[in-house]
Amino acid sequence: MTSAGPESAPPRTGSLQPVEFAQAAVMAALCAAIAIIAVVVPFAAGLSLLGTVPMGLLAYRYRLRVLIAATVAGGLVAFLIAGMGGFMTVLNCAYIGGLTGIVKRRGRGTPTVIAAALVAGALFGAATVVALAVLTRLRHLMFESVTANITGLAAILARIPGMKGAAERLKADFATALDHWPYLFFVIGVFSITFVSLVGWWALSRVMSRLLGVPDVHKLESSTDTGPIVPVPLQLNDVRFRYPTSDHDALGPVSLSVQPGEHLAVTGANGSGKTTLMLVLSGREPTSGTVERPGAVGLGKLGGTAVVMQHPESQVLGTRVADDVVWGLPPGTATNVSQLLSEVGLDGLAERDTGGLSGGELQRLAVAAALAREPALLIADEVTSMVDQEGREGLMSVLSGLTRRHRTSLVHITHYNDEADAADRTVNLTGNAADNTRMVETTEAPSATPAVDHPRGAPVLEINGVSHEYGSGTPWAKTALTDLDFAVHEGDGVLIHGLNGSGKSTLAWIMAGLTMPTAGSCLLDGTPVSDQVGAVAISFQAARLQLMRSHVALEIASSAGFSMYDQAKVTEALITVGLDPTLAARRIDQLSGGQMRRVVLAGLLARSPRVLILDEPLAGLDAASQRGLLRLLVELRRRKGLTVVVISHDFAGLEELCPRILHLQDGVLATAPTAAGELS
Amino acid sequence: MTAPARKQRRQVVLLRPVPGQTVIHDLWAGSKLLIVAGIGVLLTFYPGWVPIGAVGMLVVMAAALARIPRGVLPSVPRWLWFLLALGALTATFAGGSPVIALGSVDIGLGGLLNFLRITALSIVLLGLGAMVSWTTNVAEIAPAVATLGRPLRPLRVPVDDWAVTVSLALRAFPMLIDEFRVLYAARQLRPKDVDATRRARRSRWASEVIDLMAAAITVALRRADEMGDAITARGGAGQISAAPTRPKRRDWVTFAVVVAVCGAALALELTVLGTSGTRG
Repeated sequence: MTSAGPESAPPRTGSLQPVEFAQAAVMAALCAAIAIIAVVVPFAAGLSLLGTVPMGLLAYRYRLRVLIAATVAGGLVAFLIAGMGGFMTVLNCAYIGGLTGIVKRRGRGTPTVIAAALVAGALFGAATVVALAVLTRLRHLMFESVTANITGLAAILARIPGMKGAAERLKADFATALDHWPYLFFVIGVFSITFVSLVGWWALSRVMSRLLGVPDVHKLESSTDTGPIVPVPLQLNDVRFRYPTSDHDALGPVSLSVQPGEHLAVTGANGSGKTTLMLVLSGREPTSGTVERPGAVGLGKLGGTAVVMQHPESQVLGTRVADDVVWGLPPGTATNVSQLLSEVGLDGLAERDTGGLSGGELQRLAVAAALAREPALLIADEVTSMVDQEGREGLMSVLSGLTRRHRTSLVHITHYNDEADAADRTVNLTGNAADNTRMVETTEAPSATPAVDHPRGAPVLEINGVSHEYGSGTPWAKTALTDLDFAVHEGDGVLIHGLNGSGKSTLAWIMAGLTMPTAGSCLLDGTPVSDQVGAVAISFQAARLQLMRSHVALEIASSAGFSMYDQAKVTEALITVGLDPTLAARRIDQLSGGQMRRVVLAGLLARSPRVLILDEPLAGLDAASQRGLLRLLVELRRRKGLTVVVISHDFAGLEELCPRILHLQDGVLATAPTAAGELS
Repeated sequence: MTAPARKQRRQVVLLRPVPGQTVIHDLWAGSKLLIVAGIGVLLTFYPGWVPIGAVGMLVVMAAALARIPRGVLPSVPRWLWFLLALGALTATFAGGSPVIALGSVDIGLGGLLNFLRITALSIVLLGLGAMVSWTTNVAEIAPAVATLGRPLRPLRVPVDDWAVTVSLALRAFPMLIDEFRVLYAARQLRPKDVDATRRARRSRWASEVIDLMAAAITVALRRADEMGDAITARGGAGQISAAPTRPKRRDWVTFAVVVAVCGAALALELTVLGTSGTRG
């Protein structure tokens, strides 16, 4: 559990641990984002009260050193974007968040918070008074400026008949207040800190009670074994692994060996324990059985074990490509960055921002970072499952020759059969999941069907000359879409296919009315779709972001717009998407990825949307969930005449759902090839 | 923010320098941070017309050298102009010396001048911070923090931990902003709550905020878990930059210019042209 209690494992002294670094950085970024919105967006200053929550959570779960590092980082980020105001807001959030978080960790209640806040407020007030006492000139400027505004206001008031007395009072009272400014500022300090602390305390308590069910997805653990680093040859004998909270083995029994310099492929269906095997190979103690190595694992160390994981975005730690390659290497290690980059096919990109890379490029960068450690054992764990076809091919060509170019053993864990062909040897994990036996085959891109297909019904969504540019009028202007023209008809099934950066997500946002195109129009039944947000349903790739309520029933009721007491409707919505009605009482965070996506759909479909847009509906789902979801969508389209638009970089299995395909390339619709196939 | 605006407003682009490779872009990030901090201290202690003017001149000069186009400025919303005009109006009515005669009417400009001075101070400070973000690649910030903090190391201040956290926070920030955009859009798509009884309506706003916060924190925790894994896979923290930059000659020249201009402004402020602290 992520937040069930204060973290006890990391040491309470010394430098920050990996988990602490990550938590500090992400919470700092969150707090900075809130502070920036509070400073920049008009009338949003109240939002800064919420900035105390991430900092409070940090203070609750980790030591003070983590909170301080987060304060420095968050303050600097906020300063870079919003200036001094942003910096001061983060500082305040950390001050108050730290206070509430520590009180929470000590298990105390509201009275303690009030007492602590009064003391903290007194300190803050005193500090303000001292600062203003020292900064004489700034104080005079501020006081005189405000006095001028007040005097002027009084002068205007005095010209209104009958208000002369009030004007005099206003002037005199303000002058008196300023004469006693040290008391004034002290009292304001105490009151504001106490108020903000109480709000922060309330928000922290409420949010924490909501976080109880959030699963901890953190998997790897730093190697603790000492001695010379020699991870291979590696021998696993009857290894089984069971997670602490589980009642069945996630892996095993499995026996296998990894010899120096060999390329070993590990295949297996979902649920066969492929990722768990990665954990054991990278140093986790198995529940039973033995793992024999000549020396230490040395995870991430020079000459040790390197791991490349599934998610392209979250593995990259540097903001610049070259920095990411060396990130985490011991200080003073010399690395030939350009040679490593050219080996993985990223020549000349050393100075690029990592934020602009595609999924495939990010994964190749992760391989380069792993190779910078000259590992004796490189584990690639389903590295291709979240990248597009082109990226997949690029990655495979990098991986396939690796053992010949480096003195490393490569263990490539994959659920694509064809990727195992490049290996010297293949091990198949049988696993315990009986229903998940089929492997995924990658699909060749079918040719685009002509844009003017035989329309089945009247046009619902019309895209007329749509172009979109981000940051128009600034030096950062970037064209995303150019002059698109097409229509989606009643009952249509359209696949908008494009690679990373082709503008397909922008198009989805425009079609849902969330973004206004810079040129052209997007009409739903003849009127601009941006005037009827909600009429076109959109399911985002990150389903979790679309689920806002704590429980399934609440969520469906809220997003569909009916009463949460209307059980019949909730049940009906759940049945529509093929979920068991008993799921209604389940907490959102206890759902699997596939279930989350279905709950989102249940909420959206209950409003009978004119069009349903699905952004990468299959990404991150295992093969069985993918098949199930596709079957459901095909069925819905056929039975209810639902109009479906799918945005994807993949084709696998989508032919039936989306007979019509539009290719988007660099923001332009690719012209339809003449050989259009036999699609109806 | 980058959230899709309902109206076509000029979007603010975050944490990306203005394209180009000028002297100002090439300055060491640490120099820029130091200069901004130093000038900030100067202006808080001596917010007189001369220092404000001098710093304003420096900012304009740097902007010209860095070839910053006018397009970087966010559009100023109308209500802000209105507030400024209102402030200027009330301050004018306050009168005060100096007084100028316009025909038969005497207008005291003291109040207005004070108002203008505090407005100019805010604008100059904002411009100073903006110059850093417009000309600095974010990847250079964290190594600069590590170098600048080196003198603190003997005092057992964990400067290196801070630098690593800064680099990771700058990496996580754009990803979180993207997720917030989706969160905001998903919220826009929802219909009005129908369960809003009078009692529920009162607490609805609060629970709405908690819902959004919980979703944001859940996403952030997941990011942090994954990032922690990635750091573990790299064997913990270590180097953060492939080519750490150090101050070069152009940095010393810049320091000299800034110190000369600010020093002259300070000397004038304290002797012949003093404006601040008139009442002191």
